[in-house]
Amino acid sequence: MTTAAPVELDEPDVDEAVAPQSPWITIVWNDPINLMSYVTYVFTSYFGYSKAKAEKLMLDVHHKGKAVVSAGSREEMERDVEAMHGYGLWATLQRTDD
Amino acid sequence: MGTAFRRRRDGSYSATLHPAEIDLLSSLVGQLLELLADGEPQATGPTDPLEHVLDLASSEPPSDPVLQRLFPDAYVDDDGSAGDFRRYTERGLRDVKQRNALVVLGALEQAEPARRDPESRHVVHVEAADAEAWMRALTDLRLALGTRLGLEQDVEPDWVDDADEPRRYVLGVYEWLGWLQDTLVHAVTR
Repeated sequence: MTTAAPVELDEPDVDEAVAPQSPWITIVWNDPINLMSYVTYVFTSYFGYSKAKAEKLMLDVHHKGKAVVSAGSREEMERDVEAMHGYGLWATLQRTDD
Repeated sequence: MGTAFRRRRDGSYSATLHPAEIDLLSSLVGQLLELLADGEPQATGPTDPLEHVLDLASSEPPSDPVLQRLFPDAYVDDDGSAGDFRRYTERGLRDVKQRNALVVLGALEQAEPARRDPESRHVVHVEAADAEAWMRALTDLRLALGTRLGLEQDVEPDWVDDADEPRRYVLGVYEWLGWLQDTLVHAVTR
């Protein structure tokens, strides 16, 4: 996945806990390297999500190839993406109406 | 093989590793630091046989796939925004990854011979506050090795059964790092 660019960007399923009015979202993409346990840890540690929610997002990343992990302003999403890159997760941000 | 990371009574963590495992991890972290320093291949002494096999510090940014994976584009279809993001964040991200790597090196340097079997077992001690730096550094190492190996989701490399394939050794190291990291994550989150 590190060598192939994402080929499609359909409308992501925005988690119900994410505010629907937020114009920007952070997406975490599946990769063949990161451990499931670690990805779950990152979602609980950085976002403060419950273990159940973090595991659901992790499984979405794993099975669906990606998951929307946060929503908000562009600045907030850039902060989240930078943090994800710091953890070694593959993350991007985009407008919700792209 | 060493034993997994465990949480100690004082809240810190420890793992018992073979001295060769400590040397291996130190070498890998050293190579990661070189890669993060400027992304340029570094002149290294001929004394480290891992250097050549693992080949972590051998390409140039931004074409080096390992650096692309450590510092991916933040925007999918917007090179301008991705470039701006990179300009504002990459230096800081490199600094953080270097600090994490140095935390690991520091702990490895202070590993002490285990009371039982001090010849072949050394105890690596990780303070609670350093556990996340360890997890991140182990992630960066696995991203580097996994990217060099060209690993893909749910696909076994076609060279995995080839006895003459040197990458099998690297794959073994990669899997060992995953095992070590997984035990630390579980020790922290249980």
